Amino acid sequence: MARNVVASRCLVVFSILALAMVIAPAVTSLPTGISGIKDSGCNCHGTDPSDSVVPFIGGLPESYNASETYTVTVSFTGGPSTDGNANLGGFNLWASAGTFTVSDSDVRIWSPNEVSHSYEGNDQRSWTFDWVAPDSGAAVDFILHTNSVNGNEGNDGSSGDMWNRADATVLGFGPAPLPDVDPFKVLATLMLVSAILFGIVVLYVFYRQNPSGFEWNNFAPWITEWLTSTDHKKIGTLYFVQGLFFLGVGGIMAMMIRLQLASPGNDFITQEYYNQFFTLHGTTMIFLAAMPLIAGFANWIVPLQIGAPDLAFPRLNAFSFWLQPVAALLIFTGVFSGGGADTGWTGYAPYVVSETAHAGVSMWAAGQIMLVASSTLTGINFLTTIAVMRAPGMGWFQMPLFTWSILVANVMLFISIPAFGVGLIQVFLDRTIGTAFYDVAAGGDPLLWSHLFWYFGHPEVYVVVVPAFGVISEVVATSARRSIFGYKSMVYALAGIGIVAFVVYGHHMFTSGMSPALRFITMLTTMLVAVPTGIKIFNWLKTMHGGSLVYRTHTLWTLGFLVTFTLGGISGMFFPSMGMDVHLHETYFVVAHFHYVLVGGTVFGMFAAIYYWFPKMTGRMLDERLGVLHFLTGFIAYNAVFWPMHRLGVVGMIRRTHTYYITTADIQALPEWAADWNMQISIAAYVFFASNLILVVNMIKSLIRGEKAPADPWGGWSFEWMVSSPPPTPSFDPQNIPTLLNANEHVANEPGRLGQWFQRFMVADDAAEGESH
Amino acid sequence: MAEVTALYDAIWDEYILWSLLVGVVTFGWLYHHSFYYRSSEGEKPNVDELEVGVFPRENDNLRLEITWTVLPTLLIVYLTYISWAPLDAVWSQVGEDGWHGDVCADGQSSNNYIDDDGYVHSECYHEIGITGQQWFWEFDCMGLSEDLCSTDFTTFEGESKPQLNLKAGETYFANMTSRDVIHAPKFTNFGIMEDVVPGQNTYLWLPATEEVAFLMMCAEYCGDNHAYMTAKINVED
Repeated sequence: MARNVVASRCLVVFSILALAMVIAPAVTSLPTGISGIKDSGCNCHGTDPSDSVVPFIGGLPESYNASETYTVTVSFTGGPSTDGNANLGGFNLWASAGTFTVSDSDVRIWSPNEVSHSYEGNDQRSWTFDWVAPDSGAAVDFILHTNSVNGNEGNDGSSGDMWNRADATVLGFGPAPLPDVDPFKVLATLMLVSAILFGIVVLYVFYRQNPSGFEWNNFAPWITEWLTSTDHKKIGTLYFVQGLFFLGVGGIMAMMIRLQLASPGNDFITQEYYNQFFTLHGTTMIFLAAMPLIAGFANWIVPLQIGAPDLAFPRLNAFSFWLQPVAALLIFTGVFSGGGADTGWTGYAPYVVSETAHAGVSMWAAGQIMLVASSTLTGINFLTTIAVMRAPGMGWFQMPLFTWSILVANVMLFISIPAFGVGLIQVFLDRTIGTAFYDVAAGGDPLLWSHLFWYFGHPEVYVVVVPAFGVISEVVATSARRSIFGYKSMVYALAGIGIVAFVVYGHHMFTSGMSPALRFITMLTTMLVAVPTGIKIFNWLKTMHGGSLVYRTHTLWTLGFLVTFTLGGISGMFFPSMGMDVHLHETYFVVAHFHYVLVGGTVFGMFAAIYYWFPKMTGRMLDERLGVLHFLTGFIAYNAVFWPMHRLGVVGMIRRTHTYYITTADIQALPEWAADWNMQISIAAYVFFASNLILVVNMIKSLIRGEKAPADPWGGWSFEWMVSSPPPTPSFDPQNIPTLLNANEHVANEPGRLGQWFQRFMVADDAAEGESH
Repeated sequence: MAEVTALYDAIWDEYILWSLLVGVVTFGWLYHHSFYYRSSEGEKPNVDELEVGVFPRENDNLRLEITWTVLPTLLIVYLTYISWAPLDAVWSQVGEDGWHGDVCADGQSSNNYIDDDGYVHSECYHEIGITGQQWFWEFDCMGLSEDLCSTDFTTFEGESKPQLNLKAGETYFANMTSRDVIHAPKFTNFGIMEDVVPGQNTYLWLPATEEVAFLMMCAEYCGDNHAYMTAKINVED
């Protein structure tokens, strides 16, 4: 009983902490909290404002009339600006409402409510343009920044210059209208309200089924169990749920991106939001969806496959998991404070530490530091478990291939992720306490980040795809009713990928000014990746030879994987070839390629894993008809989304831009059909997103009224099929670990070719021969 | 098919040929096996006698495995070999050993031409400067005569954007840097891009071979108005 009180108290403290974490970012979005770029201003020359520069806004009325046009003059006096300088000054004026129009070439418009000087206009101290008042009647704020320039040219062009800021307010004629809604907050609120309503419905159903059992004492142990469990199966499920949840969140962001790109010049979302969406889409999908899904299966299946009762460090494992949701909250925190990270998942320096980057970048870096910690601990855990907790009879070369793939992935992750952690800590310190690792003016090196990031980033993409290889190896062999072809060469190929991964990252930096000799070396090593992956693909194909392929949903996803991953592998060969890479770099050809390997590889592999191991994990069979429907719609829609992107990339459509341009009479850009293709891609993307809801429906339906699963529904050989579905806890009785038998016992005891050759020099040992039988 | 530059097209065609070959072999194999070796309705013969808790019997063939290690290796060595010359062409050295000779004397023309393999050769080159800044491009003709290089402004999508006028038949050597963060001018019609990095200089060959006016965009993400960081490159005769 006392234990329950403690558990309940822990729960209360935990809830308060969680609530505080949700509320804290909302507080920082208040005017006194973290601020956006609007307040820090312009491309100001110099670091601090200078009182000797006096900006002035003229021509504004005391209060404005609806839609009336006012001629505005901005000017400044003071500072180093003197007649005879090459340049005299510049300005940036931001208005909270209304529209600027420009009549001469000295002034240019950034957005309807922001103007600044143009090139021709930087030899002025005064600029004139028009401002059309809004018809809302609300007061309008103006923020003016001016640079006073001493005219020296070149890289140190802004040294010795000064700037200052002036504010003005024009009163309106009516009551203040409500401020514009923030689409991100609307979306978040909607999701929150739906989740609460859904929760109430679920609780009500529980209540109606058993009104007397609806007591806190009945729920508390259940909640406590999920929050504090160190069982590898429970933690695996938590990872799995987290992964699927963020797969949905990342998918919603992809939908926003596709809606925006459906037509050229679309203004469905602004560039500020588009940039957050594509950044968080990438970060979410890699770190919060793919990695947890893999960790979920690794947690569930690896101990079962090697015959271990649990992982080597169960509490460490729980800690690894609980870092994840907190890190996810941090990564998304920026969104609540008015500007989520907008750096791309690569977060190139010095933009990532610059003032123009959104405020949320700091939190994005902080969250990823926690993910680095989580991945490192997971790495330690799995390496130890696989090294020391294998069942008797299971040598390194009798481990199931999924376990091998998790081993290789964790070795890669464990060696590469510290570099990323170091980079992130530098970025975080640069942004928060003003160190200068990436401050170019202070001698920082922007390319250092690129090196640290890609030293980790390239192995990372193999970390997410290698476990899919493991899944495919299991499924192909089991479905074809054969042992995997070339088990040893599969292992060597995995290890080969793990080694080559570390010497190819240079190809991400082909166009950042690296030496041609290094470019050649990286070109060769990058192409080398095709050899081990080729071995794996041919081995999978040969495994089917002479088999008896049973078509289940996981078999379909595996065959789909073989198609898409091969295509992704082939398109990958185009990048190391320099003459093409300098054209294809940063285009949609790259987007098409990595979605072919990451969605067609990792996600399809994980789908196969879900259909393959779901009966083992839950004790319920999934519905095959819904599964086939999911595969058909998903596979076709997926290809319709990403295949056309290859061609768009070849004609020069660039990544990470919220809009794109079609050729006009006097300037050549994308061909006209590119607009139609983008529309088609967007439609297919929605079909792909919707098709994955079939999987969710299938899982929920099976959990409620699915057919009971036997211990070995597919006829696999490894240990996970020996325990009941779902498995007991501990998964294997520690006193009674099963021993792995070996169908090749007679072969294993015979010497290999080399051994036979050596034996010619040996004296025959008849005595030993007699003992062994 | 691609029609980007002669150099690009030459490698592209060769790569597409090999891709098709690999694709036909792999997919032919995959489709054949997935239909030919499927199990009939209700029949599930356990070909290799898989059994729970027993490591399955070996299924390998060293000769085959070596074959599909060696053949792809040979293919990639060949692909690297054919990508070698384009590497030199894209990052040719400055000076007599390079493909574009020395800097042009006053009034001298590059007279560049495309050879049969798609590589551009020139007698000499002109140096220009490109500077990136959030979020516009700045071109510097470095004292070249008006007909070789001039800068201007043009209206694109209702905004004033910088324009660089170059002359067809001339080869330019761009000396590039950035004032704030990493940007990357992407010359789609020249089939090339390179990052501009603050605090250091990067270089790029711009062989203007034919008359064209195209949009140059920034290809390295640089902040909110990244997509508006455009310029017009106008190659005139």
